[in-house]
Amino acid sequence: MILINIISLFLLNYLKKSSGAVEYPAVLNKYFKYGMIAAGILIGLGASDLPPQILYELLSFVLVGAIIYLILYTPELENQKTLAITPLPIVGVKLLEYLIETISPSIYDTLENYLDAASIFALIWAVTMWLNHRKQMKEIEIERIFLKEQERQLKATAQQKSELEMLVAERTSEILKQKEELQEALNHLQSTQEQLIQQEKLASLGQLTAGIAHEIKNPLNFVNNFSELSVDFLEEIGEEVRKMSDSPEKENIIELLQDVKSNLVKIRHHGSRADSIVRSMLMHSRGGTGTMDPTDLNALIREYANLAFHGMRANPNPINVEIQLELAENLPEIRLNAEDFSRVILNLVKNSFDAMRDKINELGDQYKAALKIKTKESKNQIVIEVEDNGPGVPDEIKDKLLMPFFTTKRGTEGTGLGLSITHDIIKSHEGKLDIESKVGEFTRFRITLPKVRVEKS
Amino acid sequence: MKILIVDDEQDVEIMFLQKFRREIKSKLLEVEFAFSGQQALDYLGQSGSPDVVYVFSDINMPGMSGLELLENIKTKFPHIQVSMISAYGDKENYNKAIKSGAKGFFTKPVDFESLKNEIAELLTDK
Repeated sequence: MILINIISLFLLNYLKKSSGAVEYPAVLNKYFKYGMIAAGILIGLGASDLPPQILYELLSFVLVGAIIYLILYTPELENQKTLAITPLPIVGVKLLEYLIETISPSIYDTLENYLDAASIFALIWAVTMWLNHRKQMKEIEIERIFLKEQERQLKATAQQKSELEMLVAERTSEILKQKEELQEALNHLQSTQEQLIQQEKLASLGQLTAGIAHEIKNPLNFVNNFSELSVDFLEEIGEEVRKMSDSPEKENIIELLQDVKSNLVKIRHHGSRADSIVRSMLMHSRGGTGTMDPTDLNALIREYANLAFHGMRANPNPINVEIQLELAENLPEIRLNAEDFSRVILNLVKNSFDAMRDKINELGDQYKAALKIKTKESKNQIVIEVEDNGPGVPDEIKDKLLMPFFTTKRGTEGTGLGLSITHDIIKSHEGKLDIESKVGEFTRFRITLPKVRVEKS
Repeated sequence: MKILIVDDEQDVEIMFLQKFRREIKSKLLEVEFAFSGQQALDYLGQSGSPDVVYVFSDINMPGMSGLELLENIKTKFPHIQVSMISAYGDKENYNKAIKSGAKGFFTKPVDFESLKNEIAELLTDK
């Protein structure tokens, strides 16, 4: 009977060790432990020959039966099922021996040889089964390891893939960002290029204009000088003729001399018109000479607004204008080309006077012309506003206002260069000229100058 | 009294003659013309220059410029007054002219009144 218990012990020990990577539940391990203790006790009792041997033997069969049952019906031991049938023949033969021996020892004696042979066969069977089982288990184990490795690789691949995907997404967004930046830079370059081309065109146009102006100036001087001289001579001739005795011829001559003189006056008048255009053109293209010096802007505005006013009063068609100066106190000195900038003030003020004169002619005394000049200081800028309550500028010509040779003034009054020059001068001071207006109410020119400029060498 | 006008524009001669018609007629003033700097120097050299007291010269001329002429006259005939007449009233030319000893600087178109005053001064000085 010891054999049965040894088999029990062996089975339990094997099962306990077979757990390997897959841990058995604690209950199962407890069963193994108690089973092994029970098997050990039964071996001891069997060896001691203490009665009642029959009970011990029965218990041995119950134990091994329980182990086989456990193997067959426990899901965790699914793989070990072949193990259950390994000892079955031995247990069967031994059980038969035990039953025969217990019920009828006489029959046992006669069958003993057969039973021994069966035992041997059962043992051979068991060993074969055992070896077979071992082989199977090894295969299962290898397969398990193989599967595990495969799973690990899959996991690693998946992780690598997600990492790569993240990298790709990162790079993609980086590239997109770079693309946008490049696009922006390209747009900037293109607009700069357009500006440069425009500037280049204007510069060459300016040179051409200056050249033309110079070439025209000399012959024009002759026209003006000679017409002036001729007027003087005609006056002298007139004086001489008047000394002659009266006659119809004398009357006729005096009359004709008057006509010639008035023609020459016209030549002189239009000549001086042309001269003022030529001079403005030269001024236009001159640009850039003169130095930028710290200037008291308020003083400059006071001086030149005053000058423009008295100039206007001294010229034909003076108007009554109320001039209000609202100049910011403690305005810091700002670097200006004072000679150029004084032209800006003169031009803008003169422009307002002309506009308001038109409104006076239209509306008469009920309209009170008023001109407001303000200076304001902000953090980085100085703002100059010249505002009149004249006729205003319609939107459709607002854009053209700064174009060279654009004028709304009738006939011989304007050259169309005043505001264009003004704009140029403001630009050369890195400033900005804005025009706000409401037809019939006001026109406001706003000059914005940076307080600090990058000095150009 | 004799003055010399130097200008490459030939019509300047007619203009001056007409402008100073009375003075010339009354022999108060004699006006000579040269159409280039070299011509002016030649003239001053040959006439021995005792009678020319004042030279009015244009600055922009082909060949010798007015400023060069000014320097030449000032070294060779230091007693002759020279004034410049230029279409370019810029500071650079003005400073150069005054530094080289020019008496006056007139910008084109010439204000004949101021020119007449300048010459009248000379006439009364004499």
